[in-house]
Amino acid sequence: MDIISQLQEQVNTIAALAFNTFGTLQRDAPPVRLSPNYPEPPPNTAEDAAANISEQPKPLSAALVKAAKQFDALVTALPLSEGGEEAQLKRIAELQAENDAVGQELQRQLEAAEKELREVQELFGQATDNCLNLKKPD
Amino acid sequence: MATATYPPPPPYYRLYKDYLQDPTSAPEPPPPIEGTYICFGGNYTTDDVLPSLEEQGVRQLYAKGPNIDFKKELRSLNRELQLHILELADVLVERPSQYARRVEDISLIFKNLHHLLNSLRPHQARATLIHILELQIQRRKQAVEDIKRRREEAQKLLKESLATLDGH
Repeated sequence: MDIISQLQEQVNTIAALAFNTFGTLQRDAPPVRLSPNYPEPPPNTAEDAAANISEQPKPLSAALVKAAKQFDALVTALPLSEGGEEAQLKRIAELQAENDAVGQELQRQLEAAEKELREVQELFGQATDNCLNLKKPD
Repeated sequence: MATATYPPPPPYYRLYKDYLQDPTSAPEPPPPIEGTYICFGGNYTTDDVLPSLEEQGVRQLYAKGPNIDFKKELRSLNRELQLHILELADVLVERPSQYARRVEDISLIFKNLHHLLNSLRPHQARATLIHILELQIQRRKQAVEDIKRRREEAQKLLKESLATLDGH
């Protein structure tokens, strides 16, 4: 895949990681006491649920940071060498002119080679005719 | 059960009755459309250009101007994005009812990121064209060299055969 598509995919990956992170943390978070008037929230029965929640943010945030670092690496790998649209257009015009010149040279060489081929074929025909004595000599 | 018949073909076919005998007696094909046209009730334009962010009603976060330093802007937008995500996490802990503004900021950054990447595509197209032209020039030069070499070999062979026949 070309680099710009990779960058676009990486942006979408970062977005997906971000909302998965927040969604997971919000979904699994234990209830919080809002005001002293309300009773204590019931304690969570499963013990491992509490353990899971406290150790969830670390790998989630590590994945997010890793994706961001990969994005930076891809940006560094962007081959944005020359400056500006005009430089590229000028180079395209130069290359087109060179392409035309080389094309004409190729055409000339091709025509010369075909002419030589026809001459050789004709001479070969004459030589074989003479050898086989098919034509009476003038 | 009533079935609908197919619609008849358009009546233009009568204009091409003598096409085989006289190709100029038939009308010319219509010229290419320029500007906007309507197709199946939708408006389309023949001018394929990426609309700027303002036209889509989105605020542009990176610097404007003729020559944008894409790498720098992409990197700074990435850092902004990370900071905003952290801010959102903070807001959700402290003042959960104020998440909307932060989420809007994050989506704005994403829109800017994608717009920047899309505006790199014309540059990529021109670079691809340059690469193709260079490859073509290289292949043509190679072909010219090949033909020259073969012609010289043929000339050499002919001279050798001439010498062989003469010495015969």
